[in-house]
Amino acid sequence: MAPHDLRRAYKRPAISDQQRRRELALQRQEQARRDVQLQARRLASTLLSLPPEHEQPSEPEPEPESASE
Amino acid sequence: LAGIELPLKQWPELIEALLSNNNQLPAHTRQATLETLGYICEEVSPDVIEQEQVNKMLTAVVQGMNSTETNNDVRLAATRALHNALGFAQANFSNDMERDYIVRVVCEATLSPEVKIRQAAFECLVSISSTYYEKLAPYIQDIFSITAKAVKEDEEPVALQAIEFWSSICDEEIDILEEYGGDFSGDSSIPCFYFIKQALPALIPLLLETLLKQEEDQDQDEVAWNVAMAGGTCLGLVARTVGDDVVPLVMPFIEENITKPDWRQREAATYAFGSILEGPSPDKLMPLVNVALSFMLNALTNDPNNHVKDTTGWTLGRIFEFLHGSTLETPIITQANCQQIITVLLQSMKDVPNVAEKACGALYFLAQGFEDAEPSSSPLTSFFQEIAQALLDVTHREDAGESRLRTAAYEALNEVVRCSTDETAPLVMQLVPVIMMELHQTLEAQKLSADEREKQNELQGLLCGCLQVIIQKLGSSEPTKYVFMQYADQLMGLFLRVFASKSATAHEEAMLAIGALVYSTGSDFAKYMTEFYKYLEMGLQNFEDYQVCAITVGVVGDVCRALEDKVLPYCDGIMTQLLKDLSSNQLHRSVKPPIFSCFGDLALAIGENFEKYLMYAMPMLQSAAELSTHTSGVDDDMIEYTNTLRNGIMEAYSGILQGFKGSPKTQLLMPYAPHVLQFLDSLYIEKDMDDLVIKTAIGLLGDLADTLGSAVGPLILQSMSAKEFLNECLMSDDPSIKESAEWVKIAISRATNF
Repeated sequence: MAPHDLRRAYKRPAISDQQRRRELALQRQEQARRDVQLQARRLASTLLSLPPEHEQPSEPEPEPESASE
Repeated sequence: LAGIELPLKQWPELIEALLSNNNQLPAHTRQATLETLGYICEEVSPDVIEQEQVNKMLTAVVQGMNSTETNNDVRLAATRALHNALGFAQANFSNDMERDYIVRVVCEATLSPEVKIRQAAFECLVSISSTYYEKLAPYIQDIFSITAKAVKEDEEPVALQAIEFWSSICDEEIDILEEYGGDFSGDSSIPCFYFIKQALPALIPLLLETLLKQEEDQDQDEVAWNVAMAGGTCLGLVARTVGDDVVPLVMPFIEENITKPDWRQREAATYAFGSILEGPSPDKLMPLVNVALSFMLNALTNDPNNHVKDTTGWTLGRIFEFLHGSTLETPIITQANCQQIITVLLQSMKDVPNVAEKACGALYFLAQGFEDAEPSSSPLTSFFQEIAQALLDVTHREDAGESRLRTAAYEALNEVVRCSTDETAPLVMQLVPVIMMELHQTLEAQKLSADEREKQNELQGLLCGCLQVIIQKLGSSEPTKYVFMQYADQLMGLFLRVFASKSATAHEEAMLAIGALVYSTGSDFAKYMTEFYKYLEMGLQNFEDYQVCAITVGVVGDVCRALEDKVLPYCDGIMTQLLKDLSSNQLHRSVKPPIFSCFGDLALAIGENFEKYLMYAMPMLQSAAELSTHTSGVDDDMIEYTNTLRNGIMEAYSGILQGFKGSPKTQLLMPYAPHVLQFLDSLYIEKDMDDLVIKTAIGLLGDLADTLGSAVGPLILQSMSAKEFLNECLMSDDPSIKESAEWVKIAISRATNF
């Protein structure tokens, strides 16, 4: 039961660039998955001769809104 | 042993037996007993021990801590045991008298002549501050006096704990105020007592005083932690807690000390300024920053002291991080001062490693602030070449291994590339062979010592990271992607060679870079699959370094989307591994939801060929779905995880349904439809879906109707999802939920009309 380490981040950004790259890759993958699903659903709508949807498949967002969040 | 047996109720007499040790026995036996109790509290969860036993345990512990206990070893063991036992004292802290007594004994122990007891007692106070924040009001003034005295006069280990008490209160209040969301709707279950705001006039001078207690060369010592560092960190947290109110209390200290001949005073003033840049409003800070900027730029180059330069570089980075960017009304960086800023930063990159590292960090945030700038208005465009060259030069410095300098230089280069405009795409392209050559050289190095190998792996990780960013940048627009593709074969060859190393970081980075490459190359990636497949499998088997496994799961998804049915030859192996991963108790739970999503990616890619995996995947999905609907009364982390899990499960179902759509084998999915609907209904009943889960759920309802059509129509009509849930989504404020719901409504009406 030694005293617990108190050290807090000192003069370091809240998240590392590596973490940022992981998150960006994840975002790109989620976006790509949504786009593929949307495309599949839009195809379904077209086949069923339904009114077209307004939403366009979005481009993958290359960056999050803020790195420090 | 207690850790194993107590939860299973196999050792009910243990606590009693231990407590019987405490009466009139030799001091060393009492000490050992208290230590054992402390270890038990550290190991077992509070719900395992009956309240009656907890009471007895706490009584024994608090008795051992009391000032009447003459043996210091016993008192220390008791104080440390209490620290671990605090989590068990929920009921006792709800009782005013018991709480008063415990807090009083802890406060008395902070005055013990023995430094270790004082330290352990403050550690208890820190723990109380986070566990029982809402019970602290009656004691906060006394605790302020005690902590203030310790910070000013006591030995360092004690003073550090005393500062940590206030940092911990800040953490609590920041969390609560974040939950309020600024609109004071009182969403938080715990009210904010504004202890920091009330303590401010006394707390700020106390913290400012600590800033002057720096150690020589603390910036070169990576494990250093002292009163000045803790005090500045606490000041930063205070600024985030109270915002604008901190500024007038800190500014006089900065003005008084920033030009003093003693480096400690200049450094303390700069550190104070840097610490308060997050929290207060830009309106409050902007006028100050505009004045400070040129002073800081001058100090970064000309201050005679490295410690001051280090903190100045860090402060500049904070200025760019929090007060520069497209969301701020008035820019602090203009065409007029940009040249000077860049000149100074590039100059400082040649300074000693710790200062150069801060200059790289400042450049990182400088670039980030131009992320959303209009392509023509980013002043960095004209400096791109110069900046990139300077950063590469830093990575080649002989001393770049010190103070994380090489890492900081690559990170800055990554951010400069990420935030660059189309105009500089040819320059980014020129970086590709340069970084590839560097990576090639690391792979050629032979006969390295263990230490050298470790450094080599680290460098490989950094280079793969840099290539990942470049690939993503150049792959994001058609013209640059086309030119970039000339390097794809060579790049892939290099990445595959990185897998020969044993380093998890290098593997993860190579995998991330390959993911970016898959996305850019699309179906052409098929030609690399024969060679790449074994590393994909290896990544999926890496339970220990779960980040590698998680990234690999994501890359499998990328590969599925890129290759579509060309992924088929690899599916048996991939599915086997994914199913093993799901069944493993060793694998970190965070990897499991993405594995379900990956089922969906795979099913969508291979369509009805997913048939042979249904008998394995569906039971897994069903049991995970059932598990994820029974989570009421758990903590926020668990609710968040559960929603991630639900999302993954539904993405799997959606992918499978969409993959089978239009195939004659669609009826194979019919047996699973009742369960999917039941799952959707139970999610609706639970009422704790987040927005993402709602979106995925409504989409899944539509996929079910769309793929299975009239066969499932009557079943859907009976479900709650098709009525209440759909109606709620139709009236949603979120346009994407509403739009999906409209599609679902039509899909259901088609399914029920035929």
